Amino acid sequence: MNTGTKTTPLHQWHLDAGAHMADFGGYDMPLWYATGVKNEHLAVLTSAGIFDTSHMACITVDGKDAFALLNYCVTRNLAPLAEGRCVYGAFLDEKGHCLDDALVYKFADTGFMVCVNAGMGESITAHLVAHANHKDVNIADLSGKIAKMDIQGVNAARILSSLIQSPEKVFDHMPYFSFKGHFDSGHPGAGAVKLNDGTPVLLSRSGYTGEFGFEIFLAPHAIVDLWQDVLTTGKDLGLTACGLGARDSLRAGACLPLSHQDIGHYKFINHPWDFSLPYTPDKTGFTKTFLGSDALVPEPGDMFVFPFAGNSLRKVAAGETTGAYDHNQEQIGHVLTCVTDMGITWHDGRIVSIASPNLSDNIKIKGIACGFVMVSRQLQPGTQLTLKEGKRTIDVSIVQDIRPDRTARKKLSYFI
Amino acid sequence: MKKINDLNLPEHVKYTKDHEWAKFEEEVVTIGITDYAQDQLGEIVFVEMPEVVDTFSAQDEFGTVESVKAVSALYMPISGEVVAVNDNLEDAPELVNEDCYQGGWIIKIKPADSAEMDALMDKAAYLEMLKG
Repeated sequence: MNTGTKTTPLHQWHLDAGAHMADFGGYDMPLWYATGVKNEHLAVLTSAGIFDTSHMACITVDGKDAFALLNYCVTRNLAPLAEGRCVYGAFLDEKGHCLDDALVYKFADTGFMVCVNAGMGESITAHLVAHANHKDVNIADLSGKIAKMDIQGVNAARILSSLIQSPEKVFDHMPYFSFKGHFDSGHPGAGAVKLNDGTPVLLSRSGYTGEFGFEIFLAPHAIVDLWQDVLTTGKDLGLTACGLGARDSLRAGACLPLSHQDIGHYKFINHPWDFSLPYTPDKTGFTKTFLGSDALVPEPGDMFVFPFAGNSLRKVAAGETTGAYDHNQEQIGHVLTCVTDMGITWHDGRIVSIASPNLSDNIKIKGIACGFVMVSRQLQPGTQLTLKEGKRTIDVSIVQDIRPDRTARKKLSYFI
Repeated sequence: MKKINDLNLPEHVKYTKDHEWAKFEEEVVTIGITDYAQDQLGEIVFVEMPEVVDTFSAQDEFGTVESVKAVSALYMPISGEVVAVNDNLEDAPELVNEDCYQGGWIIKIKPADSAEMDALMDKAAYLEMLKG
């Protein structure tokens, strides 16, 4: 291992569990465990999975001008954001290119936290500092000072309910993209969510799989015990530890982008993630001015990003060397992401999921290749493309969405 | 991830730098991927195989194995004509993970020149290569 490679507090656990490890954002992280990436993916759709996400970075932004700074630097309009809520948005540069995507948490009018991707703590902190001139803000990069694990899937709340104090109270009024508690015992909100041993945690009803669940932020020394407790409690329900492989196939199936792969050095428009931009209801403009917004105007030569679903589970490698071709065999772009969502299949011309309600017994879930293409023109759903990587080709169609019947947005009461 | 010393590397097969194995037996060479390759790829979800009677030269791509995350090409260890493909892999590609040297074999070929087998690595040489 390179001496520069970082590890999370769960690193030894991953190694002991026989995880297949790889570098991700400068961290030595598990790709999958002995259970295999397919089982891990399916466990999240049918029961629950836990993910070590301690490699992600948190930055706190406090002070009188914290709102002004963040509302200028983040693509989402934070004005309507209530305390105890979080939103998904992106940090852009002046050219309107995406530096990273993030969740922004609001503790108070003068207190926010931003959670960005692995290895991005330092550069996003520097970016915020660079735009904070003369503003009354205190920006702190907490990279490595907070641990995080995500529990995702229909059994997430059931499992957590036996590991936290007063679960009924915690789970009451906890909609999608809300949070309670704090990982710092000195913070006024810290008492709201405590593990049974009294450890304060920040519990966020969010995640990156498209499925119901939580992200849990806590002190690094406490995460190994919680991880073990979740595994023990969830074992009989079919919970399993999941690596980055399952996270990647779940998020792609949920039509969510991977930062620095699906979003990055291109103008942050013409993609499936309109919800991360502060469009006016008629989509003719933005509800605020923000860093990069001046550059987000359509121009000739702009590229477009669309989700696709393959005809079968067969896939191609992602990257600029894998071309996207139209029905005239003209190359119109390339593949950004291509993975197989093993929890879905084509049935009667539509995609169904292993978690779809009233799924007929005779439907065999075969898996479907899916991901995102970047192309030079607007395409309608249903457009057929061929993806070619060397001699290898697969046929895909442009789709509006990929894995149906996702659970992330359902009411929490449905799961307990 | 398996430690190199924990890999199952039989003595009676030959190995390629691309992590295929080849076993010469009664004028037929059986070909598959090694324990190292299946462990690196993770769960195999699809194996693309050639047709019987297809002929290939050594190092030609003859198929692909796909895991959930990756697509990996299969290369001919030696030249020859395909005489059988493992149809069981169509419904049970996971056999490549579970039993890569027996039930998870991929193709059988009639070698153009069985002397080409001599150019392949034995277990010791393959292990040496893996250890880098």
